[in-house]
Amino acid sequence: MRTPEEALAAARRQAQARRLAEPELGRAPSDQDLLLEAREASLKQLTRWAMIEPEELEVYSTRRLGAPITALKRLLIRLLRQYLVQMSAQQSRFNAYVVGYLVAMDERIRALEEARDGGAGPEPETVEELPHP
Amino acid sequence: MKVNQILCAAGFPDAVTNQMLAWREVFKQWGWKGADFGARIEPDMRHHGIRPLRQLEAQDELVLVHYSGYARDLERVFSGPARTVLLSHNVTPEEWFWPVDPADAVRCRLGREQLHEFARLADGLAGVSSYNAEELSEASGREARVIPVLFDRSSLASPGSSANGGAEPGRPPPTILFVGRLTPHKRQDLVIQAFAAYWRMQPEARLVLVGHALSPAYRQKLVSLAEELAPGAVSFRARLTSAELADQYRSADVFLCLSEHEGFCIPILEALHYGIPVVARDAAAVGEVVGDAGILVGAQDDAQTIAELLWIVVSDHELRQELCRRGERRLAAYDHQLTAQRMRSLLADLAP
Repeated sequence: MRTPEEALAAARRQAQARRLAEPELGRAPSDQDLLLEAREASLKQLTRWAMIEPEELEVYSTRRLGAPITALKRLLIRLLRQYLVQMSAQQSRFNAYVVGYLVAMDERIRALEEARDGGAGPEPETVEELPHP
Repeated sequence: MKVNQILCAAGFPDAVTNQMLAWREVFKQWGWKGADFGARIEPDMRHHGIRPLRQLEAQDELVLVHYSGYARDLERVFSGPARTVLLSHNVTPEEWFWPVDPADAVRCRLGREQLHEFARLADGLAGVSSYNAEELSEASGREARVIPVLFDRSSLASPGSSANGGAEPGRPPPTILFVGRLTPHKRQDLVIQAFAAYWRMQPEARLVLVGHALSPAYRQKLVSLAEELAPGAVSFRARLTSAELADQYRSADVFLCLSEHEGFCIPILEALHYGIPVVARDAAAVGEVVGDAGILVGAQDDAQTIAELLWIVVSDHELRQELCRRGERRLAAYDHQLTAQRMRSLLADLAP
């Protein structure tokens, strides 16, 4: 009888043999890592998220037979639209400033790293010199 | 004795909320008094007797805090006169969430900072796993006990006939199962990749991922990956009833968990209860929970190795039986009475 420990050893051997026979299988799982892919895109994503646009359709009731409550919630949103638009604008402005600051810092760090590594990178721009987003 | 309990966030489906309610039932059986509170409470929870934290009047009582995430209002509990016990259910490290949901990442960061701060202030410390307890010990410089999750097998459906060994004619197709919220640290993306490698060897195979998603966008990413690598073979299920979840376990051939961070992972115990062989990544508290009852893979084991392992576990009947036997033995370590006694001992030691 094969023990669990022997099963893992057998699986490793079989995988190795299969990789030798079919080299295209040798790719490690991390090659298609969603997380890494997402990390690379994070600053871009952050910029997208900065401008908030609350979606009315996402306001709904989770209760059973909650349609009337959903309708009431959406009506309230419409009645408060002036206030909500003002609040969203304030939040978006703050978010945009923060993202602008981050982008500037990111560029500055890259430039400094390039300069440190001996590359002729662009002169680091100071955060203060950036135009307002 | 009177023990109040506090949750950071009360809602369903939530393992920590279930734990607090289960502990309340145990306390009632012991004749202990007290009430349950939540720093944040989902509207659906009001029928479960969980009160807003602001209603807690902490006098000379014992407060058991089930910590699982940042809650600003908890600060007054630890600075008040009540004796406090901090039970850590773990907070996921922030780095898993930055790329997917920065707001969650911020909450995780604040939560971990707060957990360490509370560890220094609490009168008693415990983690649901050694992994969690060690974190508290490091933060506080004091001993933290291990009180596992309260696992009540009698509340689960009967195991039924497991060990499908689905590769033979006339049997249902081999089914690989994972149960857990669709989040980056649970690595359903790796589960899909490993399954896809297995599916190339066994095209009848099916993968079932049970759990609600961190966000619709993250779910869509996983769905797209599944459609690309194993079209039509992966199904996503959420909001299952207990009976439906039991059916998923009973129809599975292997429970595959490749999480990189778990403070405990109750579905592993559920899989052992239903007699499903467990293949899991030895990360965070997972190895400790699985023990020798499953097959633990390492970070070096790629999708192809895991696929070969799935093939072996699905098709080797004797191996499956051995894993079932070990699973039964492993569950004894999480016996309901044993865990309850550990909690009783901790609370009795700290009672005012």
